[in-house]
Amino acid sequence: MKKIRHLFNWILLLGSTLMVCLILGVILYDIFSKGMSSVSWHFITRFPTNGMTKGGILPAMIGTLLLTFITTIFSVPFGIACAVYLNEYARPSVLTNIIRASIRNLAGIPSIIYGLFGLALFVQSLRLGTSVLSAGLTLGLLSLPYIITTTEEALKRIPNSMREATLALGATQFETIKDVVLPKALPGILTGVILTMSRAAGETAPILFTGVAFYINGISASPNQEFMALPYHLYMLSTQHQSIEEVRPLAYGTATVLILLVFVLNIVAFYIRFKHRTKD
Amino acid sequence: MKYYFCYLIVLLPACSQENKTIKIKGSDTEVNLAVQLAESFHEVNAGVFVSISGGGSGLGIASLLNGTADVANSSRSINSGEINLFEKKGAKIDSFIFAQDAIAFVVADDLPIDSVNTDDLAGILSGRYKNWSSLTGKNMIINIYGRQSNSGTHDFVKKKLGIEFTPYAKQMNGNAQILEAIKADHSGIGYVGAGYVTHGSSTGIKVLPVYQDKNEKAISPLDANMIAAGKYFFQRPLYQYYKAASFDKIKPFLDFEKSDTGQKIIQLAGYYPVIK
Amino acid sequence: MNIKKRESTDWLLKQVFKAAGLVTIGLLAGIFLMLLYNSIAFFADVKPVDFFTGSQWDPESSTSKYGIAPLLVSTGLVTLGAMVIAIPLGIFTAAFLSELAHPKLKTILKPVIEMLAAIPSVAIGFLGIVLVGPGIAKIFGIQNGLNALNGSVLLAVMALPTVITISEDAINAVPHSHREASLALGANKWETLFKVTLPASLPGLIAAVMLGLGRALGETMTVLMATGNAAVLPKGFLDAVRTITATIAIEMGEVPYQTTHYFALFAIAVVLFLITLAINLLGEYFANRLRKFHA
Repeated sequence: MKKIRHLFNWILLLGSTLMVCLILGVILYDIFSKGMSSVSWHFITRFPTNGMTKGGILPAMIGTLLLTFITTIFSVPFGIACAVYLNEYARPSVLTNIIRASIRNLAGIPSIIYGLFGLALFVQSLRLGTSVLSAGLTLGLLSLPYIITTTEEALKRIPNSMREATLALGATQFETIKDVVLPKALPGILTGVILTMSRAAGETAPILFTGVAFYINGISASPNQEFMALPYHLYMLSTQHQSIEEVRPLAYGTATVLILLVFVLNIVAFYIRFKHRTKD
Repeated sequence: MKYYFCYLIVLLPACSQENKTIKIKGSDTEVNLAVQLAESFHEVNAGVFVSISGGGSGLGIASLLNGTADVANSSRSINSGEINLFEKKGAKIDSFIFAQDAIAFVVADDLPIDSVNTDDLAGILSGRYKNWSSLTGKNMIINIYGRQSNSGTHDFVKKKLGIEFTPYAKQMNGNAQILEAIKADHSGIGYVGAGYVTHGSSTGIKVLPVYQDKNEKAISPLDANMIAAGKYFFQRPLYQYYKAASFDKIKPFLDFEKSDTGQKIIQLAGYYPVIK
Repeated sequence: MNIKKRESTDWLLKQVFKAAGLVTIGLLAGIFLMLLYNSIAFFADVKPVDFFTGSQWDPESSTSKYGIAPLLVSTGLVTLGAMVIAIPLGIFTAAFLSELAHPKLKTILKPVIEMLAAIPSVAIGFLGIVLVGPGIAKIFGIQNGLNALNGSVLLAVMALPTVITISEDAINAVPHSHREASLALGANKWETLFKVTLPASLPGLIAAVMLGLGRALGETMTVLMATGNAAVLPKGFLDAVRTITATIAIEMGEVPYQTTHYFALFAIAVVLFLITLAINLLGEYFANRLRKFHA
């Protein structure tokens, strides 16, 4: 009897774990097996044609890259500065506690609400219109708490003795941060930045009303234009397009490219972290 | 230092307000057509970008009002509430009819019904009829696949029949999702633009011809002659609204739509040329 | 560089860093005030009683109806379903990872969970349309699988990585002395796990559930794509539902700015904001209790 119960417990725990692996397996298998055949050099270097029933996803890829770029250069300096303040300057105080609580709550706000905020602030109040700039800034705000948390973790791993040594040599606190702390924490920060990019590349809800378009017939690097994005392209192809069945292979292809892009970024981040950890 | 440079790259062009993109928004019925027009337009006029988004007709007009679109595609005429909003803003708008669309009512092809009366349609869509038995003799629950309340198609059908939709009508994201649902659902009924039926794959579904009273012949939305004569009950012009002030900016695109190439694309996409 | 200049640079940059810290408070306050400001404009047009008790959401009908109930019930139903799936699955997996898995196996399983977390929500929603939806339709013999159950299954997948990661941390945080004491008293491995280790990590597990719940509540694209979007009070898991997030996503693009309908979307956003805020605070409270408990 006892043995059966033990076996049952084993199955319960192992089964749950296997189930989680199975879920990932099914997701990847379904998308890759049906999507890989659509992915080709042609697919990622051409414009959509014939009313988006043929051709490639080039403008969506360019749009996603441009969007991620704007998101990153906006959120990274802010995020790092905030993390530096929290980890290097701030003493435990009410203010510090409020800042930390704000960051944790910002991380919990649904992404669609960031979309509303971006619409009210960037599109309307600042008159940036629906554009890749508005969308990038909105995603930048969304990424802030994430960048701050990962950067702070990286800063925490720098031993205090290093800071003390520099300070004892007569460097000011800023010089210590600039010349010792940040360079040493760089791999950790970089990991966070890359993971943020991967999240930004996959987000859809915040860009819905801040600048993403179904289709654009040319490529321009100008940030005050509307743009196409990979995740939105997938959404559009699978729910909004006129002939959903006809474009299903394109939707699978887009999903494959999107997931591959996100995974590549994650693997790069993982590699940096791994290399850095083993060095210590 | 490099960082500031990146900022400049992003911010400088943003400040120089040279806006050469024509933003077209609204109407799922028209979006595909607009995309095809924009594709060909790029071949003759590469200097002007066109960005297109779908959504309902309400989206187009709202975006025009909000200043986030230059052209509002709409499958319904602008209503008095919206006109008021434009007047409040002091913006004068003009419109242009660039094609005719007909709404097709579709069911699965094994449903024993060949045509439908407008009264019965009103009964079905308002929720008065819940079962197919009185219409087809088959005892099956009626499932309605419609559009979201903001869609021009939804609005048009509602007004044309003088009903409020039953809240149990499923609100699908677009015409294509409706067709797909009907293919899978043998007791479903839905409405889509005729262009979707003629252009997309139409296996597994059939289009119901519509008549108003018993003595009349039922007319199919796929009958081009009847559409040209304006005889089909659910037919409507497709509008493009724009602010009079921005006419110069969008003129190249409107000219292209009126050109022979443009008209040909419209016909190939399953819509009907404008009645002159 | 002379010392004075270096010191003034130091002071200046400290202020810059501090300002960046203050921006986060400003951002949270800004988001809340923006939502609140627009909601107040809404409640000037529509009575709060009608908003909270009305059973219909139909802003575009001739008599605009702004009852949040169908959206709230839809959101609740989908999330409840997701949690019923994700909580046992997540906690058992976490227990397996921390108590039973060989360290080598763990180095394989951890990235699996990270990969699951990295998959964009729109890709999960896509699978809801092409895979889960048709599957549900077949199993239950219904015509269309775009319903609450579909949304629940997908949201469970999205909440799982959060639940697993935080639960595992919580279980790991239980001191080894607890386990050793239990084993020394003659309890076997399973009794120790279920009667000592898991109960001791309970606050952390609750925190994991809360954060997973927050994630599921706020998710937009998956539910928008997979739940059918009918804004009526659902009768069960096989009905189409429309969550608060999906309603905002569908309708925000389509309303003229500064109209009642536009403000209404901010009003439902405030409700969503407050719910997620409450859940996050609750999660944090339990996470802190765990920290204090083991400190």
